[in-house]
Amino acid sequence: MNAVVLDGARGTECRGALAALQQALAEAGHTTEVIPLRERTIAPCRGCFGCWVTTAGECVIDDAGRQVARAIARCDLLVYLTPVTFGGVSSELKKAVDRMLPDILPFFARVNGETHHHWRYQKSPRLMGLGVLPRPDREAENIFKTLIERNALNLNAPRTAAAVVTPESDLRATAAALAKAVT
Amino acid sequence: MMAERRALLLIGSPRGIGHSTSDRLGGRVLDVLKEHGFLTEKLHVHAAMASPQELESALAVIGAADMVILSLPLYVDSFPAPVIAFLEQIAERRIGAGRARLFVIIQCGFPEKEQNATALAIAERFAAEAGWSWLGGVGLGEAEWQHKDVARALAPVAEAIANGTAIPQSVLRKAMPAWLYRFGGNIMWRLAARKHHATRSLRARPYAE
Repeated sequence: MNAVVLDGARGTECRGALAALQQALAEAGHTTEVIPLRERTIAPCRGCFGCWVTTAGECVIDDAGRQVARAIARCDLLVYLTPVTFGGVSSELKKAVDRMLPDILPFFARVNGETHHHWRYQKSPRLMGLGVLPRPDREAENIFKTLIERNALNLNAPRTAAAVVTPESDLRATAAALAKAVT
Repeated sequence: MMAERRALLLIGSPRGIGHSTSDRLGGRVLDVLKEHGFLTEKLHVHAAMASPQELESALAVIGAADMVILSLPLYVDSFPAPVIAFLEQIAERRIGAGRARLFVIIQCGFPEKEQNATALAIAERFAAEAGWSWLGGVGLGEAEWQHKDVARALAPVAEAIANGTAIPQSVLRKAMPAWLYRFGGNIMWRLAARKHHATRSLRARPYAE
């Protein structure tokens, strides 16, 4: 399977987790592309819906956000790697997630009893979330896992898994368990 | 003499001041706070994140605020990226710690207001990490559809914020059943595409292999 890792690190805080993730994905048979988002210029989504009603499937902003949307549209597994930020994802990761809108259709669907949008392409990617915290924090971890589950609904993802690691965590075991859960 | 109290409306929509639902809804709350003697100001987050200079002056405004109303659209179960970047700066630099109080208004493009719950949890968590007091928040569905009702319904919320009393949790009734919202919404998107002569390409897959 073809995996895309959106690396939302703002510094070096996710370095160990990324290495463990790459190894686990390789062992699970995935071909992995890592996109270090802090090195990409991605303008904020303008909320214009041009990608839905004018330039169907492509953002009106011509920058690295288009490459990210293309990579996501073509992958089998989408991975969020991020420092857990107020329980959510970092601004670096979110700038890419917001620009995923072209990969979604404007049309509504009923998913799990709620209103969501249809995925534009034939198959939705599976979604994995790996959050990094400087110390154990149950509340932040719960918010993060809920957020990944919610995002999976928005992506119509057929499978999802999320975990949070700290410096004391067994990174290799956690990454391997995540890779197994979505493979 | 009572010290001046400052209330700031932080607009987290890319459409900004004067052009966004976030401004119209948050502005309603700000108007009531003004009637209660607050000095009021508006700040557009996306503009604040446009340059280091803009960011510094925006953070100075935040540092002087006693009350911050953050009004924004829901973006993928959370805040738009520039809002997160702005909040990261506030929390890391402890701007307004021990002084600012936060109230949040989130509106989503779905009929279920419950879809805002994760974003509200993130907002509360931000307040805790930044050392701000958390007043609570309202998550609104269908805001674009019944904007006038929402603006009216926010008045008692604003009164409660100004008076420091319990904030009403039930803001407004549902405008229509979810199935009707989906049905009408799907028609609306087709009409919007027709306006741009893009009806045939609505389901295009430019990145398909």
